[in-house]
Amino acid sequence: MTETYSVMNLLLDFFFFFILILGIWLFRWPHRAKFGNLAAAFALACAAGMVLYRSGIMHPNIVLISLVIGSIAGFWVARRITMIQIPAMVAFQHGAGGVAAFFLSLAELMRGSHHLGMLNEISGLLGLAIGSLTFSGSMIAGGKLSNTLGQEQRILPRHTLLVLTNFISIIVLIITALVAPMESRIYFYILIIFMSVLFGILFSIRIGGADMPVLISFLNAAAGVAAAFCGMIIENKLLISCGAMVAASGSILTYVMCKAMNRSLYRVFVPVQDISSKNKNPKTDKTDIYTINPEASHPPIEKDNFQKALEYAQEAKKIIIVPGYGMAVAQAQFAVIDLSNLLIDMKKDVKFAIHPVAGRMPGHMNVLLAEAGIDYDLLKEMDEINPDFAKTDLSLIVGACDVVNPAAIEIDGSPISGMPILHTHESGHVVCCNLDDKPGYSGVENPLYKNDNTTLLLGNAKETIEYLVENLSKETPDIEASLNKKNQRTPFDVAVSVLLTAQKIIIIPGYGMALAQAQFKVVQLASMLESIGTEVKFAIHPVAGRMPGHMNVLLAEAEVDYDKLYEMDDINPEFSQTDAVLIFGACDVVNPAAMDTKGTPISGMPILNAHDAKRILICNFDENPGYSGVENTLYKDKKTIMLIGDAASTANELIEAFK
Amino acid sequence: MTNLLLMTGVFLFSFVVGYFLISRIPTLLHTPLMSMTNAISAVTILGVLILFSVSSTRTEQIIGSVAFIMAAFNLVGGFVITDRMLKLFKKKGGCK
Repeated sequence: MTETYSVMNLLLDFFFFFILILGIWLFRWPHRAKFGNLAAAFALACAAGMVLYRSGIMHPNIVLISLVIGSIAGFWVARRITMIQIPAMVAFQHGAGGVAAFFLSLAELMRGSHHLGMLNEISGLLGLAIGSLTFSGSMIAGGKLSNTLGQEQRILPRHTLLVLTNFISIIVLIITALVAPMESRIYFYILIIFMSVLFGILFSIRIGGADMPVLISFLNAAAGVAAAFCGMIIENKLLISCGAMVAASGSILTYVMCKAMNRSLYRVFVPVQDISSKNKNPKTDKTDIYTINPEASHPPIEKDNFQKALEYAQEAKKIIIVPGYGMAVAQAQFAVIDLSNLLIDMKKDVKFAIHPVAGRMPGHMNVLLAEAGIDYDLLKEMDEINPDFAKTDLSLIVGACDVVNPAAIEIDGSPISGMPILHTHESGHVVCCNLDDKPGYSGVENPLYKNDNTTLLLGNAKETIEYLVENLSKETPDIEASLNKKNQRTPFDVAVSVLLTAQKIIIIPGYGMALAQAQFKVVQLASMLESIGTEVKFAIHPVAGRMPGHMNVLLAEAEVDYDKLYEMDDINPEFSQTDAVLIFGACDVVNPAAMDTKGTPISGMPILNAHDAKRILICNFDENPGYSGVENTLYKDKKTIMLIGDAASTANELIEAFK
Repeated sequence: MTNLLLMTGVFLFSFVVGYFLISRIPTLLHTPLMSMTNAISAVTILGVLILFSVSSTRTEQIIGSVAFIMAAFNLVGGFVITDRMLKLFKKKGGCK
């Protein structure tokens, strides 16, 4: 009886494993991958059902409640996330997987120390360590990918030594835990978790933004290994094989990413210290990308260059578009797809060349373009398309730099030497729609920009591409008019682009907002900004409103999450790191004259330091002084954009512009 | 000892099968692939179910339920986001 039972079990396990393999196998074809994903989900659901059927459950309430909480949270987050935030989401999920693995190991170890074999115990301790470091490493990676943490490498003094010591101490702890008396083992378990969490942090903080694709793939593999060790504790073969499969996938992706960046895994994890301190430029360049200064980023496109680019595009028969992460940052993918559709309609041969490390995780660029509605047959891998460049009339680069830098093959000894690149320099003409002509993340100058057959169209890629589309579709291109339109942007246009590009926005509501009954529109605007990944906070001055805390009530009525409402003292230090401040109907409480000039009625009054922010948008009814009668010097600030009028209609216009 | 061999065998076998399958997947789908394998790594949820199949102490229950919530989050979130992503990949002229 027991024998047939265990054969049955083995067969069932094998069956689930088979469905899982089938699911992964279907990933070879983009149109079948969807079924592959469903098959894998189905296999796991069946396996869970089987476990329930086989061994029953002692605490159905706990299981049910946990299941509902976890599933709803997972479902909710997965529905809301935008495609550009995918890497951060995946990183956080790796973290959740890590937590599950080390908590499971901990529970099994605590329960089973009396009867677990040596092998199970070693697996449990390893599961504990790897799960914890996956957790903390993923949290750091997720923070960096979502821009909550800085992109730069943080290298502590003697970092390598610290990491090594930490690593050795984990091993020593594991060995001691194996031989320690039963009663004291729990302390060792906790110590192992603590040290491993620390290890994950130390390990990932020194990996810079550009190497994130490697880190995230590596953590993918680590989560798999942790799951496999969990399987070894309880001797569940399905757990082991699933874990092993994930580990294989993560390892392959890690390898692919390293190769694509010409970096050894060792160099990614142990970066050379002096490079990071010497090359200050790439670091600032990177931050520039995230905090696009709208005016600096809109140098008037030279008319000649624009004319040339249009002619090339009209004459070319074969065109390759090279998208880079800059395209995604400028949210230009939809405009790029419009352009490619237009060119295809003009009977041109259009393809997209995708470098393996374009984007923040393996294959990220493909997802972003797919979201914009591209036909995936047009997306070509690097090795497949590189021979085609020599036969191509025009390469159109959108927000890519290092991956098309010929210095990688022509010059020895630079940080990117030997990195495989897209051979755009071999094509007839190159049109480059980048924000600026500074080097990319590597800090290596791009000689492509200086070539005779390269035309630079610097500025916001989205706008550049839109102007190309606009003029290509016309019989007689009216460059003059569209360039004029571009150069004479109204304060409102500037405000919209400031809001779209800002990463961090603070909204300052004043009583004027309440008078105009604009709070609902303001809150709607705030949630729209958040939906595109912007961090939005509200700064509440103690005397905003008509009684203490009045503004909070008004905003609560408009259903603002009260976590987003910040008191003056809490938020004042943050203004200097804020991209844009949006003021609705507030005047005296943001008047820098309170600090700068003596003897006015408001001198010495504490104010919100809006003037520290990079841009200030003021949506007030007029430019007159507030109750105090003191002229507001903020209105004259160079960083300020005035949107005068009824606050509710201004907010409404901004909302419409976003749509 | 046989146990060690068996389990290492299972691990190696799956790793190799996974390796051959996954190295054939086009880079086009690497992001959905990682997000799906990420969901698969939440297979630890089976382990947590087994943990709850016998009576347990209060501490074990707390630890177990945290593990369960996290695994369920990872599992459901991973598959849903992968599905959303894969639905975006379209070809011209046909729903294929």
